[in-house]
Amino acid sequence: MRLPGARSVTLRLTLLFASASGVVLMVLGMVVGHLVERHFAELDTEMLSGKLELARHVLGQVHTAADLQALTPRVEAAFVGDHELSLRIRATDGTILYASPDADFPRVSTDPGGVAGLVHAADGRELRVLAGSAPLGMQVPPVLVELATDLVHHQHFMSSFRAALWATVGLAAFVTGLMGWAVARRGLAPLRAITSDAARLTAERLDWRVPVDSVPQELAEVAVALNQMLARLERSFRRLSDFSSDLAHELRTPLSNLLTQTQVTLSQPRSAAQYRDTLASNAEEYERLSRTISDMLFLAKAENDLMVPQREPVDLREEVETMLEFYGNLAEEKSIVVSVSGQASVAGDRLMLRRAIGNLLSNACRHTPVAGAISVVLSSVPGGGTTITVRNTGETIDAQHLPHLFDRFYRADAARRRDAEGAGLGLAITRSILRAHGGAASARSSDGVTEFELTLPA
Amino acid sequence: MKILVVEDEPKTGEYLRQGLMEAGFMVDLARDGADGQHLALTQAYDLAILDVMLPSMNGWDILRGIRQAGKDMPVMFLTAKDDVDHRVKGLELGADDYLVKPFAFSELLARVRTLLRRGTKVKEAESLRAADLELDLLRRRVTRAGHKIDLTAKEFALLELLLRRQGEVLPRSLIASQVWDMNFDSDTNVIEVAVRRLRAKVDDAFEEKLIRTVRGMGYVLEAP
Repeated sequence: MRLPGARSVTLRLTLLFASASGVVLMVLGMVVGHLVERHFAELDTEMLSGKLELARHVLGQVHTAADLQALTPRVEAAFVGDHELSLRIRATDGTILYASPDADFPRVSTDPGGVAGLVHAADGRELRVLAGSAPLGMQVPPVLVELATDLVHHQHFMSSFRAALWATVGLAAFVTGLMGWAVARRGLAPLRAITSDAARLTAERLDWRVPVDSVPQELAEVAVALNQMLARLERSFRRLSDFSSDLAHELRTPLSNLLTQTQVTLSQPRSAAQYRDTLASNAEEYERLSRTISDMLFLAKAENDLMVPQREPVDLREEVETMLEFYGNLAEEKSIVVSVSGQASVAGDRLMLRRAIGNLLSNACRHTPVAGAISVVLSSVPGGGTTITVRNTGETIDAQHLPHLFDRFYRADAARRRDAEGAGLGLAITRSILRAHGGAASARSSDGVTEFELTLPA
Repeated sequence: MKILVVEDEPKTGEYLRQGLMEAGFMVDLARDGADGQHLALTQAYDLAILDVMLPSMNGWDILRGIRQAGKDMPVMFLTAKDDVDHRVKGLELGADDYLVKPFAFSELLARVRTLLRRGTKVKEAESLRAADLELDLLRRRVTRAGHKIDLTAKEFALLELLLRRQGEVLPRSLIASQVWDMNFDSDTNVIEVAVRRLRAKVDDAFEEKLIRTVRGMGYVLEAP
């Protein structure tokens, strides 16, 4: 079922245009018609009053009974040519002294205001009538003059006026509706263009964007939002495909090692010790592979915001010290001096933060030369953020590598061999954990000191 | 000790059976959920290892059936999906452990032994020994052939773990989590270093070496 809001915009605009112009024209027509009718009534009244004056004048000339006898020719002479006018003259007792041939309208009472009224003749014609008393030129009571004029001409005019009005209204509604349709279609044309482009959109063409400059202002906002959505999709998609190609690439080398080693071992009979050796080496490689896979999964979840850290109070000093007990084994082996200073507590996921810091410590232990030094500095600004700095002596890392150190599988030295732990995911995991906590990770290196800094918001 | 393994992947199932049998367990292997549940309900097992995704009936349903039948043997899940929801669901249904594929067999074995040990209440030993090595838990003293050996707290904990599980190959990840509480995939080089240092104190001066590296698996302490 389509909702009311889902009806075609074009149709709605067309209907709106048509009905708006129809209503406006109709009201205008009605007002004009009303004014014309009123004007006609005024004209009629004026004409009838004039004729009443004329009748009074004629009747004023009647001085004798003989004059009264000859009333008809006098009146006819006076009103010659007034075909639309009917005239009747009555005495006070009601006897008709004169009546024009078509004067078959009902009796009209004297209207002192001299305003013409409307009556219907016996044959149904509509008449405007006016009556008034008129004194004769002799000593008898005044007579009553009744005047009527046929409205048929006006009515003809009005009906043809109405016909013209309706035709105009209809035509105008149709034409404006048509215009509305055309405007809507033209206005929505960019939308159709976007639609057909979007319909052809595939994963390979995610770089397509709605041309914002060429769409009407009203659509620009939609276009911008659409573009932002596409950009987000493109980013996610690219991340996903980079992710799978990285993974495939990283798995290829160890798998090919395993395959080669196994096949070489199988190619001729060997001693049990040799088989054991191969299997053990395979097992080590498998462990590395499975670690890479689980690290990648962790990263995938983190990058897709599926990693929701718990919020519990974590005493960072305590955690760092616990971890140094573990990594201290490595440091002592290389006679590295390790120190911790500062205090800080945060609300975060204890396990994840341990992992983040642990990766930095492991990284530091690996890259600090024999007899070097590692220091961990914790600091927290009250009400502000917390920083964890892991500093180690060693070769300065070239500035061009620094921004990429936290990228997965990034190795500053491309030729460096894969060491036991070095899948190159540790720092990427650290960064993703910090991001999940709303924090950030950065690295600096100069004058033989490399410093990794984790910042956590308050 | 009899273990039921329900696993539809033929190779995994076969290797699990072989590995567990060689570790001294009796093993029944079922290849689908319905068979698995039938076995679980009709036979007596000390432990069940269930794959979650199985044909005809999943691991959770089997577990539900087992618990409804009033059987309280420990149950361990194996799954390829490391999903918190999965984990929670399994544990809610009364699973005792949860292992994500791929896992190290030594890890599985160590956990199986932990689960089997859980039921039997052994009396708290005051000291642990292997050959001429003795670890006094009360006084926290270690001697070998009468000579006192000085260990750090972590070295002591590591040796205690190895001694308590003598003869078992302990994977590095298990050692990291039990001794250092490092529960993520941490730098296992550290374990190597720590074991090497422990060995230097415990074994180097003696003819008989007690701590052995099992390549590709982990470490084991056993009297020769």
